[in-house]
Parts: sequence; C-alpha cells; structure tokens
Amino acid sequence: MKTNLTMRIAAVLAIVGAVVFAHPATRAQQEYKPAPSEYKPPAGPTPRLANGKVDFSGLWAKPYVPDMTKDGQNQKGMADLPFTPWGAHEWKIYDAAEGDYTGACLPFGMTRSMNTPEPMQMIQNDKYLAFLFEQNSWFHVVPIDGRPHGNGIATWFGDSVGHWEGDTLVVDTVNFNGKTRLDTIGHPHSEQLHLTQRFSRPDLGHLSYEVTVDDPKTFTKVWKNVRTFTLRTDWEIMEYSCEENNKSLWEGRIKPPKYKQ
Amino acid sequence: MMNTARVLFGMCLVLMAAARLAAHHSFAAEFDTNKPITLVGTVDHVEWGNPHIWVYLDAKDDQGTVQRWQCEGGAPNTLTRNGWSKDSLKSSEPVTIDGWLAKDGSRTCNMRAVKLPDGRTVFAGSSNGNVATTQKKP
Repeated sequence: MKTNLTMRIAAVLAIVGAVVFAHPATRAQQEYKPAPSEYKPPAGPTPRLANGKVDFSGLWAKPYVPDMTKDGQNQKGMADLPFTPWGAHEWKIYDAAEGDYTGACLPFGMTRSMNTPEPMQMIQNDKYLAFLFEQNSWFHVVPIDGRPHGNGIATWFGDSVGHWEGDTLVVDTVNFNGKTRLDTIGHPHSEQLHLTQRFSRPDLGHLSYEVTVDDPKTFTKVWKNVRTFTLRTDWEIMEYSCEENNKSLWEGRIKPPKYKQ
Repeated sequence: MMNTARVLFGMCLVLMAAARLAAHHSFAAEFDTNKPITLVGTVDHVEWGNPHIWVYLDAKDDQGTVQRWQCEGGAPNTLTRNGWSKDSLKSSEPVTIDGWLAKDGSRTCNMRAVKLPDGRTVFAGSSNGNVATTQKKP
C-alpha cells in the first residue's frame, strides 16, 4: 500500500517535472512561511553609560546559526573550515545519534549559546557585562574592567574577560573543557579553543557581532562569523527549563554523550 | 482522507533544505530527514513544556487501525512569540501534521507544520531557523 502510494506520487511528480515543489521541505517554504514580522527596532543614537562606554544592555534577537559554515540572514559564515588532521578526524567521526550533549540538557557552551534562535539579554555596568541566554536559562558574566584571565578550572562556557578597543568591546574567552561543539551540526573544537567576540552598537536598535575561532589543535588558521543582532523592545526574556519534559532523552531516542573522565 | 495516516517514505532525499525546528538538540540525533511523514488524525492532548512541546494524536494506519502518535514541536517560548498558545490545539479536534519520523522506528515525529482546524497552517517550530542545513556532513 505504501509502496503503491509512493509510486503514484513519484509518477505524478515526474510527469510535471516539479519534484521540488512536492517535497514537504519545499512546501514549507511556500505554504508555511509565517507572515513577515512588522517589528521595527527603535531608531536612535548609540546608548552610553555614565562613564561614556557604549551600553549593550537590552534584549537581542540573534540569527539562528546551526551551521557556522553557512551564510544566512544577518549571518556571514566560514564556508571552508581549515581543519587540521585531528579536527578533520573529529568532524568525520561525529554522529549526534551516538551521543548528543545538548539533547541531554548539558551546557551548550559559548558559541552554541550565541548560535541559538532564543534571544539573549545583555546587562552591563562599569565592571561587568552579563549574558543572560534564554536557551536553557544559562548566564555568563564577563569582567570588563581590565583584569586578566583567572586560573579557574576549565568550564563549558570558558573564562571570559573583556576590554575596550574604542567603542568596540572585545570579549576574550579561554579555558574551555572541550566537551562542547561549535554549532548544532557538530563542528568540533578542542580544549585549546580561544574565542574572540567583538561587540559594537552602531545605533540603538542594532548590535554588530563578530566571533573569531582560534583553535590550533582543530584548525590550521583562525576564522570567523559576522552577524547582526536586533534589539527587541517588544519581547521579555522567558524561562527555559530544559529538563522539564526532555522525553526524547528519557525514552532513549537521544543518547547521552560519552566523555572520557 | 481524514483520520488516515499517510506515511510517505524515501521521497526526494536531496531536497532536504527546511529550516530546522529544534535548537535544543541536533535534529540528526533523533530524527531522520530521509523519512518525511504526513499524519492526519485527531488531537488527544498537548504537553506544553520545555524543551519542546509534544502533540499526541490518534491516526489510522493503512489497515484502518487507530494508532497513537507523539510529535515534537518547538520550544514554548519561541512558539509563543510566533502566536501559538497551549490552547492552539485542543483535544478531539482534527489536525494534520507534516514532519519527519524518529530514527528508532517508534510512532514519533518531529513537526514542521501543523494544519489547524480553522484551515490555517502554521509553523510548528522556530521561524528563526533562517540558515538552511541538511544536518549532513559535506
């Protein structure tokens, strides 16, 4: 029955020569596309703190970047990643079906938190910048008063410090535990990952973001993504409890990751 | 064709370029892009929670036997911002779901789009999925 039905459909599609229009994925783009958002971010000059520094505070919509090699709306990717042999091997053997740490609600890490479609709130004063990621309600606090990196244990999000280069805030992050992936599709990195994230705010409603990936164990040279975030004054950040109803893990369809301890 | 499950396997494998629904986990960890499915059935209930909503529905297979299905949608936060609510799908109402089957062969799917009783068809996941990916390695 299934075979007959599939054959009939395939025959029709062949006759009209329009298979592309019949595939559900393509139909999604034609029929299911939501109405364009009428939201416009507020216009105005770059806001500043009393100390004169650019103020990045606000709730920001970020482009969803499941694959950092791809371009998209408000996203410029890196098409050909310069893998080392180790990096190429890690990429080749990765199979999310054999273990998916995000599916197990473990911390996404810095790049994947920045890559998610869920918005992010930034809160800032003279000494600190805080990222409040809606994804799984995680946060990450960055000292921006000129102090050096700490000597803490390696972590999922790493150890970040920030400094100013003119009106650009540069967030430098090291000391990763190596248990995360750069993006949803699973591009690898090592514990040698060194991220440089550059934030600037050309006007009230937009944030220019650049992330540079430096990981000599995984890549032969540094590479970057460039994005634009949009201020959402019509949204509030919401709670996101990943463990609340993670049926896919509980019912065994998602496997927890295997880490060497 | 109401209340009839139509399971279409193996179609158009090279044309998988839809925006992915789930930011919480890798699509490929659980679902199979090679197994698209359309379910036409009746809503039993909805679990409106993180990290994904789940829609439970009854649909007849080709032999006329009613089967219970469970389908994963987007995160409640994103769906709320896209106009959904926990009452968008109500018990006993008809529903049509397009999506993909789980890899494990269970009656589990990942929803891409849902046709509501009023005839509207809405995304079941994030509209922010603006970077198409096949979830396959090059």
